[in-house]
Amino acid sequence: MSYDVRERVTSRGSSSVVFAAIAVALVAAPFVLPVFQIGLLAQVLIFAIFATAFNLLYGYTGLLSFGHAMFVAASGYTVAIFIRTGSSTLGFAETFGGASVLVTFVVAVVLGVLVATLLGVFIGYLSVQLQEIYFAMITLSFSMAIYSLLLLDPGGLTNGSDGLSIFLSDVNLFGVEFALYNIRDPTVYYFIVLAVFAGAMFALWRIVNSPFGMVCKAIRENPQRTEAIGIDGRFHSWITFILSGAFSGLAGALLIPLRTGITPDLAYWSFSAEPVIMTVIGGPYAFAGPAVGAFVYLYLRWIIDSFPTFAEHWEFFFGFVLLLVVLFFQNGVAGGLVRARDWTVAGYGHYQRDGWSGAAGHLRATLVWFYDLTLSFVLGGLAAVAQWVTDRLRWFSRTFDRQSG
Amino acid sequence: MSSNQGRESDSGRTSSRRVGRRRFLAGVGASAAATSLSGCIGGLGGGGGGGGVKIGGVFLLSGLAEALGSASQAGAELGVSAVNEAGGINDEDVEIVFRDHNNGDAVSQIRSLVQEEQVDALIGLTSSGVTLSSAQAIRELGVPMTLTDIGTPWITEHDTETYGDFFNSDDGTAAGIPNLFRTNANTTTNTYAIAKYAVDNVGSGRIANIGPNYAYGEQTWDYFKAFADALGGDFEYVRSVFPELGASDMTPQINRVLSADPDLVFTSFWAGDAVTFVQQAVSQGLFEQVDDVFDTLGADPTVFSALGDTMPEGYHYSSWYWHSAYDNQANTDYVQAFKDANNGSIPSFTGPSTYSAIWLYKNAIENAGSTEPDAIISEMEGMEYEGPRGTWRIDPDSHQATAPTIIGETSTNDDVPYEGVGLDPVESVSLEKSRAQELLADSGLPPGL
Repeated sequence: MSYDVRERVTSRGSSSVVFAAIAVALVAAPFVLPVFQIGLLAQVLIFAIFATAFNLLYGYTGLLSFGHAMFVAASGYTVAIFIRTGSSTLGFAETFGGASVLVTFVVAVVLGVLVATLLGVFIGYLSVQLQEIYFAMITLSFSMAIYSLLLLDPGGLTNGSDGLSIFLSDVNLFGVEFALYNIRDPTVYYFIVLAVFAGAMFALWRIVNSPFGMVCKAIRENPQRTEAIGIDGRFHSWITFILSGAFSGLAGALLIPLRTGITPDLAYWSFSAEPVIMTVIGGPYAFAGPAVGAFVYLYLRWIIDSFPTFAEHWEFFFGFVLLLVVLFFQNGVAGGLVRARDWTVAGYGHYQRDGWSGAAGHLRATLVWFYDLTLSFVLGGLAAVAQWVTDRLRWFSRTFDRQSG
Repeated sequence: MSSNQGRESDSGRTSSRRVGRRRFLAGVGASAAATSLSGCIGGLGGGGGGGGVKIGGVFLLSGLAEALGSASQAGAELGVSAVNEAGGINDEDVEIVFRDHNNGDAVSQIRSLVQEEQVDALIGLTSSGVTLSSAQAIRELGVPMTLTDIGTPWITEHDTETYGDFFNSDDGTAAGIPNLFRTNANTTTNTYAIAKYAVDNVGSGRIANIGPNYAYGEQTWDYFKAFADALGGDFEYVRSVFPELGASDMTPQINRVLSADPDLVFTSFWAGDAVTFVQQAVSQGLFEQVDDVFDTLGADPTVFSALGDTMPEGYHYSSWYWHSAYDNQANTDYVQAFKDANNGSIPSFTGPSTYSAIWLYKNAIENAGSTEPDAIISEMEGMEYEGPRGTWRIDPDSHQATAPTIIGETSTNDDVPYEGVGLDPVESVSLEKSRAQELLADSGLPPGL
């Protein structure tokens, strides 16, 4: 049942047909989807960047960070502060005229990513000195420290628990007037997000498929052996941490306009859990896993929210789905999809060789396998219970014998 | 727990009425055709009245503030039942859809209600921070929104010249937006009532503050001090501490308050925090060492029933409503209806503000003859309402209800359906806008009235 080393390290070539289909669907989406869905899909793309950046550390390098919310918050606050006061202080409106909102936004995003990167440099250096659970704990501590700092309203910058409210107003570019983010029709903002998403995912894909990415996987599989062949594992993890933080910051910068503001909640540990859950759902050992997880996570929440009965106990329903994914899919939904594809391809091979009877045989073999699996679960469970009962009985009888003896 | 069961029984009533309407339609003609047709006719005939008004409610329905959000939900559901019993809006049943903004992303929930559920109006929100950060999204969506549980005066302050624009400047506090209303008394009236009581009945002494560590806790203390000084109190503010929201251990802060040797203690805890504070303050002997303890939103049946006989008598607790504070027919009927729908429990302090928000929408939509946001908004401006809290109106400029707040003495003489204290005597306090402006002038705090 385990997802073994061979499967973890061999990268499967993703079919270009699937890739093209997804690209076309994402470009066409705003023209066919209702307005609410456009905003939701933009959110999915942003969280896909966030989760994939997180997975650079988790799935690829084997370091579970439980504080990635700090990058989103650091970048988000930078964006909010710059849009609210920075651009007017620098006189952007006079310099750039109609395009000032756009220029402000672009500069704000760049600054946001820079701040997140700097944070990654400092916190990363301290964090990668530790491994495993200690690494998770130290990242959690740093992010909670930042959360408390944001609540304290240092220098009147963050406005405490009320947070900062922003709204991207109208842009006038060469006579064409449009709102950068129009809540009633977020198509423009969607395409901005889509463009950044495409660039970010390409960059991340190049990173994990480079020699650098290979070293990451080596560290994950066996840190001691990696050191033994002359790689500075700590330094390498540090650089990965910085990259992961920078891309998480990019996601944070894009998220703030959609939420029309930022509150310290975005730095709270529960927000750090979101990319973790998305990655587990999607599958950490596939590049697209976290993105698939982000899609499943947000749409599942949307479906649950649409039904008041579910919504009242959404944590329960969510936990149930998560349980199913972890129990029955190896490597999350992405792993499940890959298996489904392999199964279909194999079935098609049987059909080509032996016609329908071959396909039927393939299906029968699967059913038998599933039956055996279920049976082994049930029998295994029964056997365990039986074993437990006989053990107790034996213990009783032994105790009884001893007493009577 | 009882409010939970109450909710079920209440929604049961709503659905049974819906069956009634369906039966009526079946009588008109073939059921399926008639249902689709009636939608069209409603859309045409109502002059914009539209087939059935839909209202969206967004509250914190899980986690830390669940008790408060659920009580508001119960109040809104009672409002919907009552409006539907009185013929609905334009003779069509009102429907309400609730959403939980527990994940901190209220904007997504609000967008979903407006863009997917196509609601005509919104009520809700259980957090001042969330309200301020979603305000611009609400403004852009344009649908009328009535706040029922929010304290911060900023959100109904429109005077950007005096107080600065909250959305565009660093220290601005005027965050009023055109399509936002509020039916509960805000922090201005709430703290005025306590300050007035303290000045009239005590007059001088040492006061310490202990409140939740977020904007609400800080704001209530600022407003209280401003009012107490402006009303001529001679108080010394000796200490101010803020335990974390939802803290399980407040003893360090309670000790710090006690070590400042105060005569009076001002608190702004609500829901679970109010319970924790009293339990730990009692065991530390705080209530015996001081002359009086005030709380801005502690006067609530869920708090008092959770505390049982731990809650000491003779202290002055405040909130936006108390069942025995209003001697009028509307209140008697309201309390009875709430008891019937909620297994005999009495309404919480957000009950009447959520209940009356539904009635305001009924009156506004019927008067306007339309569900156009602008038409509803202009009808609501200046609208007068007579309900459980007596007669009040929506200020046409600020969109804040001139609703009163209550302050009373904790006592077992009150008739309450649980083990524990009620309030006796209890009084209702109102505050005029001009008077508030005059009193707060020196402090620079916006009244938002």
